[in-house]
Amino acid sequence: MWLIGLRRRYRVVGASMQPLLDPGDEVLVDPRAYRHQPPRIGEIVVARHPAQANLQIVKRVAEVRSDGRCQLQGDNPDPAQSSDSIVAASLILGRVTSRFAPA
Amino acid sequence: MKLTHHIKQLFPAGNIVSAHCDGPCGVYDPASARIAAEAVLSMTKKILALNPGDGSHATANSLSRFIAIKEEQAHLAKTELLVLWTDYFKPNHLEQFPELHDTFWKAAKLCSAVKVEVSQEKAEELMAAIKKIHDMFWATKGREVSYYTAS
Repeated sequence: MWLIGLRRRYRVVGASMQPLLDPGDEVLVDPRAYRHQPPRIGEIVVARHPAQANLQIVKRVAEVRSDGRCQLQGDNPDPAQSSDSIVAASLILGRVTSRFAPA
Repeated sequence: MKLTHHIKQLFPAGNIVSAHCDGPCGVYDPASARIAAEAVLSMTKKILALNPGDGSHATANSLSRFIAIKEEQAHLAKTELLVLWTDYFKPNHLEQFPELHDTFWKAAKLCSAVKVEVSQEKAEELMAAIKKIHDMFWATKGREVSYYTAS
């Protein structure tokens, strides 16, 4: 299947990306998005958590630093639902390109 | 069946992505810093109550243990405060409490001081700073949570 490899499908758990992404939503991620260019502010990305290697997180890019690291943060305005992470670009696995509307 | 359903089926399911930052997130409470600071205050009092000049092994042993625990708990208190400061608090809270940064900075400095020194006065100052942080924290959540201590 030619599509395999172009996009990966993920299911969201947690509320930090509300109101855009609700728990249970599914998204497609382009794993090649950042092969030739760095992430840009405002893009939604999937990244490996800097302190928990087996945890993958979905966040919005808030800042791209000159050293190549990115500050990621949730959309949810409730601070209890969201905390910031600084991640190296190498931990960013891809860009969220689409969201499936809830069934 | 909707087109999107068919599109979705083209991709294997099963990947989970967390919209949490720190795994089980959203659980912040200044109580963890307060408990550590209380342990520091308690150990400081116990150290001051010992007579290091009595020359016994028992006293030397107690002193070593109290110092080790005091230093460990002071460091823990600082870590807990830094997590609250940098992860929980957001710029809009700074508007609500302009003294937020200064309060945390001084509290973190006190954690260092009570670790290095044997100062009941500074341990009590640290407790007071944590009470202030408790009040700010719960005010940002619009909740009234009364402050208490374990001892």
